[in-house]
Amino acid sequence: MAVVPGGPRSGPAAGAHFFCTAGRGLEPFLMREVRERLAATQVEYISGKVFFTTCSDLNMLKQLKSAERLFLLIKKQLPFPVSSVNKGKIFNELQRLINDDPESWLNAISIWKNLLELDAKKEKLSHKNANPLKRKVGEDDITAKKLKTEQIQEIQETKECQLEKQIEEKILEQGNFITEGEKFQEELQNDITEAVDTRNQSNLTFRVSCRCSGAIAKIITAQEVGRVIGIALMKQFGWKADLRNPNLEIFIHLSDVYSVLGIPVFRVPLACRPYIKTPGLRSTIAWAMASLAEIKAGAVVLDPMCGLGTILLEAAKEWPDVYYVGADVSDSQLSGAYDNLKAAGLKDKIELLKVSVIELPLPSESVDIIISDIPFGKKFKLGKDIKRTVQEMERVLRVGGTMVLLLSEDHHGHLKGGEASSGPLASRGGRTGDPGGEERVTGAEKAAVSEPAPSSSAASSQERLATVPPLGSLVPVDCHRVSLGKTDALISKYMKSSSPGR
Amino acid sequence: MRLLTHNLLSSHVRGVGPRGFPLRLQATEVRINPVEFNPDFIARMIPKVEWAALLEAADTLHLVEVPKEPIQGYEHNEEFLRKMHHVLLEVEVLEGTLQCPESGRLFPISRGIPNMLLSDEETET
Repeated sequence: MAVVPGGPRSGPAAGAHFFCTAGRGLEPFLMREVRERLAATQVEYISGKVFFTTCSDLNMLKQLKSAERLFLLIKKQLPFPVSSVNKGKIFNELQRLINDDPESWLNAISIWKNLLELDAKKEKLSHKNANPLKRKVGEDDITAKKLKTEQIQEIQETKECQLEKQIEEKILEQGNFITEGEKFQEELQNDITEAVDTRNQSNLTFRVSCRCSGAIAKIITAQEVGRVIGIALMKQFGWKADLRNPNLEIFIHLSDVYSVLGIPVFRVPLACRPYIKTPGLRSTIAWAMASLAEIKAGAVVLDPMCGLGTILLEAAKEWPDVYYVGADVSDSQLSGAYDNLKAAGLKDKIELLKVSVIELPLPSESVDIIISDIPFGKKFKLGKDIKRTVQEMERVLRVGGTMVLLLSEDHHGHLKGGEASSGPLASRGGRTGDPGGEERVTGAEKAAVSEPAPSSSAASSQERLATVPPLGSLVPVDCHRVSLGKTDALISKYMKSSSPGR
Repeated sequence: MRLLTHNLLSSHVRGVGPRGFPLRLQATEVRINPVEFNPDFIARMIPKVEWAALLEAADTLHLVEVPKEPIQGYEHNEEFLRKMHHVLLEVEVLEGTLQCPESGRLFPISRGIPNMLLSDEETET
């Protein structure tokens, strides 16, 4: 059993195969990101996953912002034929994943070790430049908490399982694993040293995490898959199973589209940012929105409904030479944002204002870029007409400026020119609005009347007026449907084409 | 609130329009907050600055050594950029007020955050 390609010294010189999981709709962002950031080749995607090849080290891989988690690819192949309801046959296929192709496994393990080894060396070097451990512990605390919710979700949504026995034990195990979060850093270090020292393959400990979806999930459970794979690995390579603190985790996803096997590169998902104390919007979505805005150095960037400031944090971290302004009407959101900026060390880059989005205290055409998550859903309601909000944002945006909004399906529909006729819209608004909202709508209407309509220059042509979208000078340039978990939303990008005739 | 932000803010009291700029600044608590010097960023901000408004604000805070206007070739003049860096980014008004020059309406600044709401209705969320 020779440890094949790469050799221990060369690292992933020829390029290692990776894949990332990503929220639905973020795949195009991630594909662009791996190409630009990691000079990745062989970039391809399926729903929820992006595959690529790169020579990047762990530090560079850690930079990925639109990915959920990163895995080293062991192998990827077409799904098993599940025409027969014969479990034995499927077990057989599962065993063949290992027995027929041990090279893929050993290859991946050797690349994985090299990555960690390289990183451990760099860590040692950088540790000489003194890195206060205190801060690290604090950070890990946060990520551990996030990890907990993340994993609980995973348990509920998918049928994740670990190698052995009952689900109860599994949950218990995961619980323990998580409460030990503070020790992550230490453990990781141990892992690295152990893994690196383990020239002898048989000393490796592992566990298997499994997901089944589609047709195959109806025939076998994730637990069964985990058990079969685990036993096959023990037989083939002499590794030992260890649920609590393994050197190595094996991730398997069997679906109708593919069978994918990989090794998670980092324990904490990439989407859990060490620099975000309390996340509001999902970090990956916030980053994707900022990346779509094409922020240039020296720009004035506004988030008029900043909430906890997630978009601004993601943007300021990636594009630092920019003047960011976050506004919100809520004191609690603003104080949360303040704490977040402070924790991230980005207070110098971002200014906060207590401001209403429909009455922005900014001169017309004074802002280069607006990025905003337009509130929807039960928790936050935009009591006012979405159009009024967008019109005010349009006013302060300079000509040629960019606006990137995260919109619910409803809001997006309202903003589209097609159904701009006010009749049905108004009634729909009335139905969704709470009792307090009605009052506000009339207030907004009054305000709209007292101001000259932005499209008054086109008033001569009645026909044209009817088709003028409520967006005025905003031209839609790009739109991505993304998943927020339970619901979908749209990241819409607009460009301000010309100043409305006022 | 930093003076760069003051330089951007304008009163939005109904009917005031462009006469709502600049807001009159009164400060009861000011902090000098060291910020890493980034000459490139400051140079990019200079063309956006409304000088009269900046000088007025700097004056109320009794700041000295504020450049009276942008000078030729400021992009490469470190002394000038450092002065501007200090005025625009390092001077932080923690407590005070902003006043609409047209209507006289006052907006409080507390804990460094200006409250520019015209009505309190919206605070509910």
